[in-house]
Order: sequence, then structure tokens, then C-alpha cells
Amino acid sequence: MDVTATDFLPADPLLHLLRRATYGPTPASTAEIRRLGAGAWLERQLKPASIADPVADDLVARLPLSRLSVGSVRSKVRAGAFKMYGWEPMFELGYAAVARAVWSERQLLEVMVDFWSNHLNVANPSGDVWDSRPDYDRSVIRPYALGRFADMLKASARHPAMLTYLDNRFSTRAAPNENYGRELLELHTVGLGYTEADVKGAARLFTGMTVSWDTGRYRYDAGRHATGAVKVMGFRHANTTASGGQSAAMALLEHLALHPATAKRIARKLCVRFVADEPPATLVTRLAKVYLDNRTAIAPVLRALFTSPEFAASVGAKTRTPYEDIVATVRTLGYAPEKSGTKALQALYWITEAAGQAPMAWTPPNGYPDVASAWASPSGQVTRWNAHLNITAGWWPNTLQRPESIVKAFAGDTLPATYGALVDAVATRLLGRTPAAEHTTALAAFYGKKPASPLKASDAAAGWAFPYLPALLLNSPYFALR
Amino acid sequence: MTTTTENCGCPVSRRKLLAAGAAGVFAGLAGEQLSTQLAFASPAYAGDVFVLLSLRGGFDGLSAVVPAGDAAYYAARPGIAVPKRQLIGGDAYFGLNPALAPLLPYWKAGTLGAVQAVGQPAPNRSHFSAMEELERAAPGTSIRTGWLDRMMGGLGAAGAFDAVSMGSSMPARVLAGPAPDLGLHAVDSFVLNGEDKNRPMAATMAALYAGAPPALAATTAMTTSALATTAKLKAAGYTPANGAAYPDTELGKALKDVARLIKADVGLTSACVDSGDWDMHENLGTAVPGKRMYDHLNALASALAAFARDLGPAGLGRVTLVTISEFGRRVAQNGSGGLDHGYGNAMLVLGGGVRGGKVHGKWPGLAANRLVDGDLAVTTDYRAVIGEILRGRCGVTDVSKVFPGVRPSTLGLVKTR
Repeated sequence: MDVTATDFLPADPLLHLLRRATYGPTPASTAEIRRLGAGAWLERQLKPASIADPVADDLVARLPLSRLSVGSVRSKVRAGAFKMYGWEPMFELGYAAVARAVWSERQLLEVMVDFWSNHLNVANPSGDVWDSRPDYDRSVIRPYALGRFADMLKASARHPAMLTYLDNRFSTRAAPNENYGRELLELHTVGLGYTEADVKGAARLFTGMTVSWDTGRYRYDAGRHATGAVKVMGFRHANTTASGGQSAAMALLEHLALHPATAKRIARKLCVRFVADEPPATLVTRLAKVYLDNRTAIAPVLRALFTSPEFAASVGAKTRTPYEDIVATVRTLGYAPEKSGTKALQALYWITEAAGQAPMAWTPPNGYPDVASAWASPSGQVTRWNAHLNITAGWWPNTLQRPESIVKAFAGDTLPATYGALVDAVATRLLGRTPAAEHTTALAAFYGKKPASPLKASDAAAGWAFPYLPALLLNSPYFALR
Repeated sequence: MTTTTENCGCPVSRRKLLAAGAAGVFAGLAGEQLSTQLAFASPAYAGDVFVLLSLRGGFDGLSAVVPAGDAAYYAARPGIAVPKRQLIGGDAYFGLNPALAPLLPYWKAGTLGAVQAVGQPAPNRSHFSAMEELERAAPGTSIRTGWLDRMMGGLGAAGAFDAVSMGSSMPARVLAGPAPDLGLHAVDSFVLNGEDKNRPMAATMAALYAGAPPALAATTAMTTSALATTAKLKAAGYTPANGAAYPDTELGKALKDVARLIKADVGLTSACVDSGDWDMHENLGTAVPGKRMYDHLNALASALAAFARDLGPAGLGRVTLVTISEFGRRVAQNGSGGLDHGYGNAMLVLGGGVRGGKVHGKWPGLAANRLVDGDLAVTTDYRAVIGEILRGRCGVTDVSKVFPGVRPSTLGLVKTR
């Protein structure tokens, strides 16, 4: 009974890499990584533009509002497509996130888009960013998700969604609003350790960066800029002219992105996402150096992370969050999207919402928590367990394309001879390993049988009651661990 | 394989039920781990069940607890002020909106009270960020947990039913943090699809998590025991006592389930329920049926009155319910016969230990020079009010652990337990 986390997961390092660097292994991605090997697979994922992505492209094309610029959202309103302040584009963005997470071939990119969407969180949907949130995804997060963090940070600071979400658009020379300045330091860059004077200095430097009420687009209003020297976390600027405020603010952002405290925070956060809830300090230190040596470029950091001995030794050290769980469920089952329409995408989105983690929907600025303890909730667990059965059996969503026979798809063309063999076959297909003997016994007992009991084609377990077995396996620690 | 006792049909106390589940699931763990990390039968809680009713959208306290003695109120709201002759239960200065009539017996009996001119330490007129701040309740700090989570942590909460948010399967933000909590859409809908005596899913899950890493095993143990509890409650059904008739609203249903959990003695320490749609920017209406504010207040009062009646005097004696809202509304009506986002507000407090029948707090007045940007000023921090209740009724000795830097108010709002 002395079981540790590693005892629930297959030892195969390729599967470990797929569980961490993607939203979960699929039959196809498992075959691909075996063919390419870990190194070539990773290099390919780090160059997402080189990967054809027809399935996800087709799904996102069904959600055209998810990709609109601010101006396009507004012209759609004028054309009567939806009402002013309508949430349709933001919901489509949420559905598109689920579609890409499940079916995109550019898995590492999508995982990093989610990572940065949380790091530079702008809650989606939320009322004030109704016209700008899809554009924030399109022009701030996605282009830089595997690029330079400094570039993404600067793009976020000038984006109407961030300027609105953290109130900088309302900040004036006479009354600087400190909300953005504080969260920029505490959450986006250096972390706790700043002083109130740093916050005040940053807030002053960002005055003038606002949003046009006419167009909804970014605007620098020199008339609102507070001039005068500022000092923020070792950054100094004379800030003598109102017209120079914006470039001074950009220089501060570059400084903060390259600050050693930022390097350490981002390195640690990446380790929390990919390695362990309490990551090894040695790895964090090494990755922080890679980050600084590469002037905030993220791809080299990820390369160093996934090839590190600490990563290799971290099997079983992460637990799937609710969102990762639901997405990985569909991927592991290998179900295909519906042939047309978006009903299943919407259903999956609302399942993640019910489970507590619809993508990008965390309302406070700190982004969703990424450690197991934050998600250890009975209500969340029941929602996920119910979803496993509903998705597997095709009850909800009921429009995904499933294999003609999931018994054959998961247990093989030839029906296993015993209940124990059935459990082993399905577990191997879905989890990459067979369960421990006492767990196989428990799963056979669910059907009122023993592992050695013969399995007949007419048994419920090989017919209408079969979907319970994959669902129970997806409920188990063998799947809950990442 | 060990099963919990969900199918035995016998009356089992919560403690025994939990113990049975724990013994099976944690059989493989060292006793030390069990006592430090995984014990989930909470220490006996002897305080009131604290019910937090969040009025979402910005509640207009001035329409509910009307400052009839303040001429500026009538001047500011020519179309929507409640005339003095319509007010009920009032004293020389304040009166209640007639829509609150279902609560009048409790007001007269002193188990319902109000506090005026309460709110957050600084004005915040954005729904989103005001709600965040209201539930985090630690401005000027980097704390990101919810205040109710901090309270539950301080009380040593460890059971699934210690802190429940009712009406949504996701726990309320105010409960965000390490202490365990349970979000229930409804008691009867907290079920595992496919659970059947011939297909014992929960029991199978308990067996599959035997020996799992402690965090996973602990959650699963809590889940399976919570499922067993709700299955029992569902099988037993529920009929409110004393002829209490809950309105068929989300709030009515949620409060009914809260009363059900209180009476079932499942260990409830705090419960969160929501009531929405208070964001009345237009056509708030006069105080007659069919008008927006009147109907809304009446639905609120009906649900609260049913809750109090269902609990009965003994039950209400161990419950304190408070209402909060992210902000009050502007004193003056706008051009659409509604009210824009404001600041100071009123709280309602219901419970056997309440010193009610009156309006507590320090009234700042509504004269132009007493307003904050056109809004009612705040003379009492809402956290101080809640702090007074937590200290007097819920056994919280150090309120500053829940609300950093806040001292409980001394309004005399509750009798010390």
C-alpha cells in the first residue's frame, strides 16, 4: 500500500513530456513523439508556424468573432451583428481557446498562450473589455507566446484591454491611478519586494497611456502625462517632457522585464507549470540565467527546462487543474470535433466553467492558481468525474465524433478474455500503463466481478455499461496526475 | 476495498460517517499524517452558523432602510423616494420599505436589525473590482484569499460541509483559499452520475484513491463522504418546518437548502448565498407591487422570512445572517428614474442573537456637504461590522486575522454568545 505518485504514471519519458508540454497525450501525438524522439519533437513544437494545423484552423474559422480587432468589433456592432457591450466575441474567444487546446497540433504554443493569458491576465469575459479582449489575445498574447517576454509586456501595457482592466486609462497627471503600476510590479514582473515609492513612480510614468473613447483604441495623451524624475526598481528617468512619457514608460518596461527578480519569478512560474508545485531551486536559478542571457526570449528557457534532469525526475509531481483535466479527457479519448457548428465546443467550455476553470475567466489580476492545493475541492471533483462519464459515453457533449465502437477502440478488436484483461487493455490505451493489482480488483468489483472472471460479449461491461470503465480510469489518480 | 456507509440506510451521525470513510481511505497512511493533514472532522464548533447573503449589482440601502427624517433624501429622489406614510417598522428617523413587510415580525421581535452608512474603506464604483475588494477584504495588502476562507481557517475548518456556497457549484470568491469548502448548486443535485447500488462508483473511487498522494486522497475522501451525506439528505427529502413557504426563486431555493443543512447537523459553520439583479440604473419605481425595487425587496424579504420561520426560534438562535453588497447607490436619482453606482450602504442582520428592531450605525446625513462625490458617506467599515458579529457570535477571537488592521465595531449589534 505504500504507493507514491510515480507509481500511478508510466515511466516512459516521452509520455512524461507529452503530459507536461501538451494538454495530454493523444494516440496520434504518442505515435508522433515515438517517431521523432523527444529532441526533434520539442524543436518542432518551439516553431509552431512550421506545423500545419488544419483541424484547429477549421474550428477557429467557425468562431469568427474570436479574432476581431477593436475596430472590427465596433463595426460589427454598427452592422447590427450584436449589441454594443455584447459578450459574443468574448465567448467565441473562450470557445476557440478550448478548440485549440484540444485539437491544435501546436500544443506547446497553446499551453504557453494559456500560461501568458494567466500571467498577464485580463478576465474574459468581463464587461469593460467587451470590444478589446479578443484583440488582446490576437495581438498581445499569441504573437509573443514563444517570443520575447519584454515585447509581450510592452504590447500589453499599450493595449486597451489591459489599460481598461487595470484602470490605467483613467490615470491622470492630477490623480495617478496606481492599479496598473502595482500589479505590473507585483504580478507581471518583479513580484513582492517593491516599495510604495516604486508603485507611485511607475503610476506617474504611465499617465497619458489611455484609450480613445471614440475608437476604443490605444492613445497616448501627452496632456495627461505627469513629468518629473522617476525611480522604480533601479530604473531612473528624468521624464522631463510630456511628449516623451510613452518612450520613458517603454524603457521602464524593458528594464523590468530584464530585472533579475523578474527572471526568477518567470523561471519559477514556468517550473510550477511544467515541473512541480514546489520546484527545485537549482532549476529555477539556472532558467533565470537562460532567460537573462537570451534577453527574455522564452523558447531557450523552455528548451533548457524540458531537457533538464529536474524535469526528467519530476514524474508525478503535478496534478491536472480542472481545465487541463477536461481538455486532456477529450484528447486521451481521441474524439474528433463535430463536422460542423460549435455546439460541442460550447458544451466543453461550459463544462470547464462548471469545473471552475473556464479558460481566461479568472477575475482577479493574478491569473488562475497553478498548484494542486488550490483545486482540491469536492465540488470540482464531482463536476470532473461526471464530465468524464458524460464525455466518454457521448451524453454531453453529444456531437463529438466518436469511434463506432468504443469497446473496440479502447479494448482492441478482440474482446479481452477476462475482466482483469479488459481493465488492463483500456488502461493501457488511455493511461499508458496497467493499474496496480488492487486497483484492477476494485474496477472488476465495480462490475461485480473478479479480475479472473471470464468476460463474455453479452456482458454489460462489454456493452452498455462499458463507458463506466474508461470514465472510472479518468477519475482515478492515474489520470488526475500530470 | 472499503465502502462508506452510504447504502446501509441506517441513521449514522456525521462524525461516524466521516470516520468510516476515513478509516477505509486512509488505512495505508501513517497516523501522524492522518492527524496533521487529513483529519476532516472539524473540532466542535459552538458558534452561530454565519450566513453571508451577497446582494450582487449594488444594493440601494436607502430604498430598503429609508432615512425618512433626512429632508435631503426626498429632495434628491423626487420620483422614487418612499413616502413617510408608506414606511413600516420605523423609528423617529428611519423606516423600512413596505416591501419588507414579510420581515416585520422579526424586526418587531428584535431578531432583524439594520446598520446604515456602512461600506468599504474607499469608494470603488466598478462592480468587478469592488466585488473583488469586498470579498478579499484586505485593501493595501497582497493577501489574495477571501475573508471567509481566512475565518474558516482560523476556526480550524476541515470538513466538506463546514463552509458551503449554495446556488453555484463553484465556491464563492470570498471562500477562495486553503480552507476546504463546498460549492453546491443544490443539495439534491450533488450526485455522481450513474451511482447505483449495482454500480458503486463512489466506493470504487475511494478504492482507486487508496494510497494516492495525500492531497488527492484527502479531497477524494471528502468528496465521497460529502456524496454520502447528500445522498442521505436526498433520500430523506425535506419539508420546511412551521409551514414556512419559500418563494420559488434562486434565493428561496438556496436558503431552503441552507436551512436543511443546518438542521441536518452536517457541521455547517458558514454558508454563502447570492441574490442578483440589484443594479437598477433605470426605472427603479415607486414602492408598490409591480415596480422593480419593490418586487425585488419583497422577494428578498419573503425568502428571508421563510428561512427564519423554517428554522424556528431555536434554530434562528444559532444563526446570524448578514447582507453585503459591493457598493451602495447614488443619493440622487438619475434621468432614467434609476440610481447610478454609489458608496455607503445599509446591511441587514438577521438572527436569534441580533439586537434588532432598530437601525445601528452613525448616520452622516445626506446634506450636500456630507456626501462623498454625491454618495452616502461610510461611517462604519463593513468589515468592522462583520468583525463584531464574528467575535460576538462565531468564536473568532482575533478579528485582525480575518480582516487585517480592522477592529470590530462596538455597535452592540449582537448579544455575546
